[in-house]
Amino acid sequence: MDYKKIGLKCGLEIHRQLDTEHKLFCNCSTKMLEKTPLTIVKRKQHPVASELGKVDVAVQYEFLRDRTFHYQVFSEEDCLVESDEEPIHALDQEALDIALQIALLLNCRIPEELHIMRKTVIDGSNTSAFQRTLIVGLDGYIEYNEKKVEITHVALEEDAASIVEEDEKNRTYKLNRLGVPLVEIGTGLLIGYTPEEVEEIAYLIGMTCRSTGKVKRGIGTVRQDVNVSIKNGPRVEIKGIQELGLISKVIQLEVQRQMSIPKVKKEVRAANPDGTTKFTRPLPGAARMYPETDVPPIPISKKTVRMVKKDLPESWIKKLKRLKKKLKLSDELAKQIIRSEYLELFEKIVKKYKVNPSVAANVFVSILKDLKKRENIQVENLEDKDFEELFGLLKERKLMKEAIPDILKYKVKYPEQPMIVGVKKLGLQVISNEELMRIVKEIIQKNKGMPEGKIIGLIMSQVRGRVKSENVVRIVKRLLKS
Amino acid sequence: MYSKRIQDALKRKNIEIGDFVRIEKAKTVYEGILMPRIELGDTSCLVVKLSNGYNTGIKFEAGVRIEKIKKGLGMEHKHKKKIKKIIFDKKLPSISIIGTGGTIASKVDYRTGGVYASFSPEDITMQIPELKEITNIKAEEVMNVMSEDITPETWIRIAKEVTQDVKAGYKGVIITHGTDTLHYTAAALSFMLRDLPCPVALVGAQRSSDRGSSDTVMNIACAANFVAHSDVAEVCTVLHGTMEDDYCLAIRGAKVRKMHTSRRDAFRPVNEQPIAKIHWKNRRIEILNKNYRKRSNLKLKVDTKLDPKVALIKCYPGLNPEIFDFYLNKKYKGFVVEATGLGHTPTLGKHSLLPKIERAIKLRKPVVITSQCLYGRTHPTIYHNLRELSKRGAIFAEDMLPEVALVKLMWVLGHTKNLERVRKMMLTNYAGEINPRIGTKDFLV
Repeated sequence: MDYKKIGLKCGLEIHRQLDTEHKLFCNCSTKMLEKTPLTIVKRKQHPVASELGKVDVAVQYEFLRDRTFHYQVFSEEDCLVESDEEPIHALDQEALDIALQIALLLNCRIPEELHIMRKTVIDGSNTSAFQRTLIVGLDGYIEYNEKKVEITHVALEEDAASIVEEDEKNRTYKLNRLGVPLVEIGTGLLIGYTPEEVEEIAYLIGMTCRSTGKVKRGIGTVRQDVNVSIKNGPRVEIKGIQELGLISKVIQLEVQRQMSIPKVKKEVRAANPDGTTKFTRPLPGAARMYPETDVPPIPISKKTVRMVKKDLPESWIKKLKRLKKKLKLSDELAKQIIRSEYLELFEKIVKKYKVNPSVAANVFVSILKDLKKRENIQVENLEDKDFEELFGLLKERKLMKEAIPDILKYKVKYPEQPMIVGVKKLGLQVISNEELMRIVKEIIQKNKGMPEGKIIGLIMSQVRGRVKSENVVRIVKRLLKS
Repeated sequence: MYSKRIQDALKRKNIEIGDFVRIEKAKTVYEGILMPRIELGDTSCLVVKLSNGYNTGIKFEAGVRIEKIKKGLGMEHKHKKKIKKIIFDKKLPSISIIGTGGTIASKVDYRTGGVYASFSPEDITMQIPELKEITNIKAEEVMNVMSEDITPETWIRIAKEVTQDVKAGYKGVIITHGTDTLHYTAAALSFMLRDLPCPVALVGAQRSSDRGSSDTVMNIACAANFVAHSDVAEVCTVLHGTMEDDYCLAIRGAKVRKMHTSRRDAFRPVNEQPIAKIHWKNRRIEILNKNYRKRSNLKLKVDTKLDPKVALIKCYPGLNPEIFDFYLNKKYKGFVVEATGLGHTPTLGKHSLLPKIERAIKLRKPVVITSQCLYGRTHPTIYHNLRELSKRGAIFAEDMLPEVALVKLMWVLGHTKNLERVRKMMLTNYAGEINPRIGTKDFLV
């Protein structure tokens, strides 16, 4: 399809959770690990009249009238702030620092005074009935194919509670996500780009966030919204695309949808996991925002901006260069690991365990994917510490790189057992050179006259995953020669 | 409020808050609505609402240029004509809502970010539409005082307003009030409104009414139901019973205390059960404590005689007893001591309160003993040191809350300065402030 011809216009809004110790406005943990709620608090919400007129209130009232919100409260991850039973505390400094870094990496201007706003929400996803948000950067850009793509704003926000279930009259939310800091990054209108290019731009923005090393990763930590319109058509907003790789598909399908119906409506649609979308509500008017008065505005001095600038993390472009040059990764592998959700862990492991960077990168970009794809192993259940355990064993030469897939499978199955137990159970202990020599001699002895290739095959079947295969070849060749 | 420099600059350019402005600073241009400065933060920072709805601050320094692009619609909220009373249904009872501060209904102007409080019955019913099914309402804001600024004189004004409305035939009265000192006002009204024939409910909110999560809605709805339809002719507080939006508790005004700085269910009864549970959605009024005065045809007498010169002194290790001399020199008429445990005050050496208490009583100033435990009863004789106190004529105020004893002593001293009569009145149960039988379940209710 010729997207220029049909006048495709897009806009991106990218949300990314920050990996801070505390939530944005209280001292609760942002881990979101708890499974069993401490208690459930049932609440109602009501519309607040605005100058925008009574009709608006009537609509809200109808929606809220018979709805009860059930909030699951977790003991370590929620306090009275999340239940809307205590005023917010001061803004979390760590979150602000990360947001300022991201804003500066995106070449934004930092306002001299940050004002926290209340954005009205009526779906119950915030116990206070509004979401707090503040702009930390304006008028930035990123470079894409030597063009500047406008970044309109970077905002620091509190995440909403996550929905658990709903029926006509009830909605259940988990409160532990409420208040987790996230950045919202908005682009200007993207005109003249294909859906794939829009996806690439989203990817670059995501990379920029990730270069701080302080954004969360994994399912639910990224949410992308995209506005789509075609020539003379209205704007449709698609919310909640959780996977980066889906953006182009969502845009393509939305363009098809808009072209196939006679009258497109201004509306908000939600993204399904397969890239299709469903209608959620008509496009709301201007954001309903008013100032948060419980905490004062935050002055940002020129000195603060200078300090943040001085400590800016390595940009992903520099990082790519470094991975190739210093860690000697191939261009392809470097690009793959930079995109990988495991980038931070990879860097940590290479530094800490001094393992071969290519081997480590290969685990994250290829072995895990294979295990998932071919054998449907739940590799997402593996935690950072499991990988540390793995590379610890490699470093101490208690495990050969050839045995990595097997031991990872074992760990997924028995997450409670130390990996070394799995190594023994699976018979994957490393074979010493002396031992290997003994085995090779024995097999050559027993199979005199057998061609070299067959002998190697026989030996490998006994020692696979426990020695370096090049060692087997080397020893066989040497012994056969003598 | 902006700094003088900004105010002068705006004046010169004839720019008003709410105008659409263009600000230029170091090659950067900002356009938006000029906002008022909230009281927090740097007053030399201009605040502008950008087109995306966000506010941002721009430090006003040399080289900053500000220009008006368009005259604004103004930030002032236009007050609609006040309708004082609305009759929804002639068959429904009518109640009165008296505003003393705080808000029930709010309007948010997203264009300017302004929050406007309203007390018109019209706006109240827009915020709480179910009121139409419960009662007809008259609403009037008689003052707008923050809770912490309420004084004994304010109690008298409120008592008089209530009396007027009760005499005018309203079935019940709601008083909206800031929460911090709500229980003091509740206690004061409990003593001042004699022979009360109908319910009087004091209502506050812990979350402001501009929020969709405000507790005002349920509190007012339950209070309206309570004063219109219950037979409890008492002064009560009516606020959330739990963190949830399920029911309110009606708690006796002389037995209630704010026990939490921020929770919705901050108001708790001390040393007795709440009088009633008022279920919100099904509107059932469940009586939990039968010890209450019923509706009657009695004629309300308002007795606002009060002497506010009473001091409340809290005992703590190391307290300097000379604090009594200060108050005596200032001609204070009585003391409530928030003693420790069963009613102890320090008795040893230079820290002993005994000589001061003795001096006060010799000067015919009553000394009332309450406990900072709040829960439980004081006792005048179990221990030697308690006996030392009571021997000197201190009045042990049973299980009365210190704040209630304070209000009551003001009220009693408005009637008599005679020590014996003061003692008799302090120990007379006028408004359920003394519970002669504290039950097993009356702790941490």
